[in-house]
Amino acid sequence: MNASALRSPWPWLSALALGLLGVFVLYPLLYVFTASFLGEGRSGWLQLVGDGHSLAAIGNTLVLACIVTLFSTLIGVPLAYVSARYRFRGKLLITLLPLITLVIPEVVTAQTWLMILGNNGVVTRFLKGYGILLPSFYGWFGLITSMSFIYYTYVYIGTVAAIGKFDAQLEEAAQSLGTAPLRSRLHVMLPVIRPAILASTLLVFTMVVGNFAISTILGHNVPLLSVAIYQAAVAEGATNLTMQSTLASTSVLIVMAVLFLNRRIIAKGRFEIVQGRGAKPQPLRGMHGVLVSASGGIVVAVSLLPLVTIAVGAFTASRGPVLRWGEWTLDNMARVFITAPGPLVNSILYAGVATLISVMFSTLVSYLVVKKSNLVTPFIDYVSAIPLALSGTVLGVGLLASFNDGFLALTGTSTIIVLAYVIRRMPFGMRNGQAILHNIPNSIEEASISLGSPPLRTFLRVVLPMMLPAVASAAILTWTTTVSELSASLLVYSGGRETLPIQIFRLIDSGLMAYASAYGLVLVAVILVPVVIATTMFKVDLFASK
Amino acid sequence: MGIAISNLSVRYGAETVISGLSLDIPEGCFFTLLGPSGCGKTTLLRTIAGFAPASGGQIRFGGRNVTELPPHKRAIGMVFQDYALFPDKTVAENVAYGLRARGEKGEGAARKVKAALDRVGLGHVLSRHPAALSGGQRQRVALARALVIKPQVLLMDEPLSNLDAKLRVQIRETIIELQREANITTVFVTHDQEEALSMSDLIGVMNRGKVEQLGTPHEIYATPRTGYVADFVGAANRTEVPVRAAASGRVEVDVAGSRLLATDSLNGPAERGLLVLRPEDLKISATVVSGLQSLPAVVRGRQYLGSRTSYSVECAGGLVLNAEMHGAGHDAFQPGASVHLGFDPAAARVIRS
Repeated sequence: MNASALRSPWPWLSALALGLLGVFVLYPLLYVFTASFLGEGRSGWLQLVGDGHSLAAIGNTLVLACIVTLFSTLIGVPLAYVSARYRFRGKLLITLLPLITLVIPEVVTAQTWLMILGNNGVVTRFLKGYGILLPSFYGWFGLITSMSFIYYTYVYIGTVAAIGKFDAQLEEAAQSLGTAPLRSRLHVMLPVIRPAILASTLLVFTMVVGNFAISTILGHNVPLLSVAIYQAAVAEGATNLTMQSTLASTSVLIVMAVLFLNRRIIAKGRFEIVQGRGAKPQPLRGMHGVLVSASGGIVVAVSLLPLVTIAVGAFTASRGPVLRWGEWTLDNMARVFITAPGPLVNSILYAGVATLISVMFSTLVSYLVVKKSNLVTPFIDYVSAIPLALSGTVLGVGLLASFNDGFLALTGTSTIIVLAYVIRRMPFGMRNGQAILHNIPNSIEEASISLGSPPLRTFLRVVLPMMLPAVASAAILTWTTTVSELSASLLVYSGGRETLPIQIFRLIDSGLMAYASAYGLVLVAVILVPVVIATTMFKVDLFASK
Repeated sequence: MGIAISNLSVRYGAETVISGLSLDIPEGCFFTLLGPSGCGKTTLLRTIAGFAPASGGQIRFGGRNVTELPPHKRAIGMVFQDYALFPDKTVAENVAYGLRARGEKGEGAARKVKAALDRVGLGHVLSRHPAALSGGQRQRVALARALVIKPQVLLMDEPLSNLDAKLRVQIRETIIELQREANITTVFVTHDQEEALSMSDLIGVMNRGKVEQLGTPHEIYATPRTGYVADFVGAANRTEVPVRAAASGRVEVDVAGSRLLATDSLNGPAERGLLVLRPEDLKISATVVSGLQSLPAVVRGRQYLGSRTSYSVECAGGLVLNAEMHGAGHDAFQPGASVHLGFDPAAARVIRS
């Protein structure tokens, strides 16, 4: 780097970005890692080996992740295949509705499953009236069911995208060489889309490992890793830094191992399809059509159950934990908006600020990484991807431990909640930003500079306007995910700073399902309203960068 | 304003792309950098523009040393292969962009924009977006955008290579007219020899980061100084031959068992040299043509190309040459036919091998 390079603003901004990432991402992670070895008492890893509960939590988490990944694949892949290749009744609903499940917060999903199949659930009580006793929804049954019906969406989306990119001419080529259609599909298509399917199943695996909301609400007697971390962090006299750090490190190591595997699979199995021509969906009629429509419909209905349930629950009267179905009331909603509007206000405020910061930071930093690379930018790229390996709980533990006191005491402030939001969302914002920037040729910028516009003005006048559609979609997606964030904020929030998901979580814990439904319904509205406004009024394409 | 490059080096990391290159481009000259991909021509252009930093040497525009200047202060106009129009701005906004960067706004700027677009025949598409234009129109907008700011030098990076053949010829003419009109020193990068030969005042043929030969189009084509230039500009049969000096600018060479005369371009005494024969200078005939020296040969293959036929013929000793015949009966010779290959000593040049 010579003197003239240092006169431009980019190296300084890169250094600043790396500094921020170092303090807010790298430092908490290293803090947790070192605390697992060097905390008070014996090394956390020695404690872990002798601790049956923690070992069980790790084992259960891995088993649960495997099972949920399997079920998600079994639901997601066939659904993706039929919706990519066939036309049938209700297809539009079946292809669009899974996307909606993505924005329903997990805490709401867990709650609604309890309202239906829990000890006081509608179905449970109904069947009990006929003397039929369902197995308890708490534990494995509930965990597997509810997680599978959320996470299949990721497999579905990944597979649909892969099939869409698959060049149907390859299949035709196979058939022209004398292979039967089904065989050609298995032999030609499957190998090409397999990496994408594997990548999405591994994503599901990591999400199950990191899952907190459902794990803690439905887990009960099944010890799970993220719940164990949370408990170690908030346990009475919460000073067991060593144990929570060790468990958090374990979670990070598991996720990192899976991500590493993912990279290898993608690197090995990447077949570039240069000019893909997607296949035209074929109509499905008769028995096949009915079968596909029906089974697709069931999957979608089940995954949409939460929405319906909380919509009804929000207006249903209750006495303590018991919902009086059929008795309508506005009391629950009144509580959300009038009696206790704090969570609503907090959520909007924190998520709004976090979205703003996140979008600005990831836009600028992805610009640095893609277009102004220097010695520092590869490190920025790596460090900004680290949060992918941190579950919300782990991040919460890290932030809590690192910024409790010392050079930057943030515990008990709103800042730390916003910080948690921003960090959790950063890898996605970065990936989004980088994807767009790779599509903007360097010559566009050079044209502007050659016309006499200095680099910074070129970025603002030329690059930014071109990024705007994708930045807008990134902002919307950031908003939807930060508003529903629970696991990290639950650890770092302090009294009076409850957000909607935290409030819902606490109400579920107290068994107050009607109130929880009201907050849940408002939460879904807070998530969806900007999405609807952006897509209909401003024509923002939510998947502009994909 | 001329461009003077002295002892320029450009490095990317450990790789040296250009080393010790010196070049003088006179004011108002249409200068073409010609070479295959990877020869360093685009890097040289980008270094002149300021996008690739020079690691040594100097670049001057007129008397002004611009080596350390950032590109936006060099007063250049640049035209890119992919047009590089701003997709979210209208045609008029694209052309006005450089004027705005210079603080020119309002009526005066609008008039200049309109005039520049009128000049390239696009005064009627002011408010369209680039996506609504054809490739040729886009490149003309890019040209107007680069010229409206009255740059000191115009730099063009393969501006025609994304266009189809007919359009290419049209836009070539537009570029030449505009360049003459503005009398602006221009550096044009291309790998297309036809473009280079038809447009340029001067051509620099580049190879491995060096200018291998500098000259007018005629000099480059008619008197290539190296085998590389002979081969890259136009097609050429090249064969290494023993050389003996003969009278007045001629040498005697041994080729395919015959002793023949050729023009001496060796620049000094040598025992061996490279005989360069353009296919269009070789005449195939059934009998020996008087006034031409000739080689006996057999037709091995032919490609009928409409206006001409390209033959490959084998001489004694297995030497295979390409010959191109024009005019009536150019496709008369069949594979297997025994023929004579005739050429004038002036058309056969011997250069250093």
